[in-house]
Amino acid sequence: MQTVTLKPRMEIMISVEAENISPDRFAGRTEKEIQSLEVWMGNRRTTIGELFSVKVEGEGGSAAADTEIIMEGDFSRVKRIGEGMTAGSIMIKGNVDMHLGAKMSGGKITVAGNADSWAGREMKGGEIIIEGDAGYYLGSGYRGETCGMRGGKITVLGNALDFVGEHMCGGEIVVKGNAGLLPGLSNNGGKIIIGGSTSRPGSEMAKGTIIINGAVDEMMPVYRQEGTEVVDGVTYRKYTGDVVVNGKGLLYVK
Amino acid sequence: MELLIKNGAVYDPINGIKGDKTDISIKNGKIVDKVSSRALVIDAGGRLIMPGGVDAHSHIAGAKVNVGRVMRPEDTRAGIIPRTKITRPYTGYTVPNVYAIGYRYAQMGYTTVFEAAQAIMKARHTHEELEEIPIIDKGALTLFGSNWPTMDYVREKDMDKLAAYVAWGLLASRGFGIKAVNPGGGEMWGFGKNVSGLDDVVPNFDVTPAQIIVSLMKVNEMLGLPHSVHLHCNNLGKPGNYKTTLASMELAKQVKPSKDRQVMHVTHLTFNSWGGTNWGDFESKADEIANFLNNSENVTTDMGQLIFGSATTMTADGPVQYANAKLLHAKWGNGDVELEDASGVVPIFYVKQISIHAIMWAMGLELALLTKDPYKVLLTTDHPNGGPFVNYPEVIALLMSNKKRQEEIKTLNEAVHKRTRIPGIERELDFNDIAIMTRAGSAKVLGLLDTKGHLGAGADADIAIYDIKPDQIDPSVEHAKIKSAFSSAAYTIKGGEVVVKDGQIVATPAGRTFWVDASVPDQHTDIMMKDIRMKFKNYYSINLANYMVEDAYVTHPNVVRAGVIPVTAR
Ligand SMILES: [Zn+2]
Repeated sequence: MQTVTLKPRMEIMISVEAENISPDRFAGRTEKEIQSLEVWMGNRRTTIGELFSVKVEGEGGSAAADTEIIMEGDFSRVKRIGEGMTAGSIMIKGNVDMHLGAKMSGGKITVAGNADSWAGREMKGGEIIIEGDAGYYLGSGYRGETCGMRGGKITVLGNALDFVGEHMCGGEIVVKGNAGLLPGLSNNGGKIIIGGSTSRPGSEMAKGTIIINGAVDEMMPVYRQEGTEVVDGVTYRKYTGDVVVNGKGLLYVK
Repeated sequence: MELLIKNGAVYDPINGIKGDKTDISIKNGKIVDKVSSRALVIDAGGRLIMPGGVDAHSHIAGAKVNVGRVMRPEDTRAGIIPRTKITRPYTGYTVPNVYAIGYRYAQMGYTTVFEAAQAIMKARHTHEELEEIPIIDKGALTLFGSNWPTMDYVREKDMDKLAAYVAWGLLASRGFGIKAVNPGGGEMWGFGKNVSGLDDVVPNFDVTPAQIIVSLMKVNEMLGLPHSVHLHCNNLGKPGNYKTTLASMELAKQVKPSKDRQVMHVTHLTFNSWGGTNWGDFESKADEIANFLNNSENVTTDMGQLIFGSATTMTADGPVQYANAKLLHAKWGNGDVELEDASGVVPIFYVKQISIHAIMWAMGLELALLTKDPYKVLLTTDHPNGGPFVNYPEVIALLMSNKKRQEEIKTLNEAVHKRTRIPGIERELDFNDIAIMTRAGSAKVLGLLDTKGHLGAGADADIAIYDIKPDQIDPSVEHAKIKSAFSSAAYTIKGGEVVVKDGQIVATPAGRTFWVDASVPDQHTDIMMKDIRMKFKNYYSINLANYMVEDAYVTHPNVVRAGVIPVTAR
């Protein structure tokens, strides 16, 4: 196992595009090679070594699966961490900016703070755990796409903002706290579990499951109530829809 | 500036050159008989040389192209290449940005491309985009088939006024020729209606699509326009529409050409060679269309070849796009252009295992392979309706290799065996046929043969050199090499300047915009303008003074003169 530890050398004020921070890019690389990987800060091309201190410990070979990245400090202006990763792990002891783990297909990302919008965008597999809060569009599709998250699992221990799992086609999202407006908007598969409250769930849902354990502030008038059903030992009111799109979606509300 | 290209295997169908080692001399952007010893020399080393590619039907600029971009931000994410010292950024696949359109065409060895549909009222937008497309020469066909003045004059049988309106409309739009899309039907879409056949009467106007088509053809020949009427048939997108297509082509017999070209170009036959009565018994009737073409002299067509994967359908045929969006549960862009036409934009994904898509894939190829004369079927994908233009090399390889077609057929829905004839067609086109379908024929159909589509003295020095030695390759077997060579020209020369070398853009000169200035007797224009002023006063949302494309919008014009008065009398 190779462990790579990154720490910011400065307070980062201008946003950084850091898709190169990924086990796939770090695997089998020396400290020097990792330092010289490209990142963009605003409109300026720079390197990982310029912005972060890099420490490599252990031997990992060339496999992403044997690579662990530990990030200590404030990364709240660092975007696209773990983008497209296939294996290995990233542990972030701080907050992160947008697009965490976008398009990832394997491995595990843990954030000990908050993640900004689009975390797990178009994710295909693997796991993301956010111990704080998530922003907008958690596990969603990007602008114009008809498929967002397709597989894998995202867990948020805190709250998430609007549009959780928009255009989701597969996989699972668990938000332990509250979710904002319109979770599961235009969904075509997958499962969303919300521990707290939300509003207007499942609009335009064609397929998929949404389970809500807290209050629903407002129901869209496009769901058909089908009595009650017990899921994992809990009794819910069961709804199907969105009837406007002939949807086969399942909505469970406590 | 002089340039001499030596040792090329030249395919120049217009001048009867089929692979001979011929030197090409270039001076001041034109092809000349010879150059001095000071000329810069390019040694082609036995590689394939053709005139620069000419595309007579593509959707590269204007209102609906931009609606496609707005509707499909996800498409913009494909094909991104950051700017370099020479090139601006590329974005997009089915709806690329303006820069990528020019660069990608040039990289395939294409130097002239025509936008196939602009409404007069939206023409300023079209020209703003055309101006920004680098390298290639271009032009735009103007929609006339559903315009209120057109239908009024057809009903009144006043061909003088119709000619005056077309001439004025071409000036107003800085357009190159007459396009008709679902004639009569496009405008009816503004009232939630459509027409269902050539003899259906257009409500409120009391004319039929057949009358509109024949009148526009007559006027086209009265004006002696370089191109013919360019027709998108009625009933497009409906099973069984091949009958409407055949009946439309039959109308061409009523009109005599004013020059050595067709009187009707029927476009994107992949979308209107449809047999059957519904989606269940849907089948290809491209063989019937080819049979018609083999027995007729004044109609040409283009393939509109389907390419599997992502496409964006966009057309002035508003009603067909409403039907498509409903059928596909897809995003739907809808537009109405006041007194002129409608439009619709719908993204689609063509899938090998969907029977209708597999059958449509066969139609374009059947048409090209069953029609004997390649001058009658141009190679297009109706970009981006059948698929993006960057796939032309794939289509070339399919036409040149039965082996490639058979390999592809194995991966398709089995309907391709029962509902098309493609599996049994063994014909393989040669380099001469391809040169016709992609340059000589397109230039002839457009009426641009004086300067485009060939390599004789006086032609524009637009030339493509491909990394293939025709005497050392068997395209049937080595189809992958054919595809990659046509994807990435060894050299593209535009107006005598090397713009592409080894597949990379090395220079980005501005291209020109071709438009037709057609003259008619002043008294015809005067009485026609009374009607137009009345229509602007009563119906248009904008003022006549804000309608015309001004010269400032076309900074690199190439004006082609035409008209009912001899040009010298002006
Ligand atoms: Zn078209």
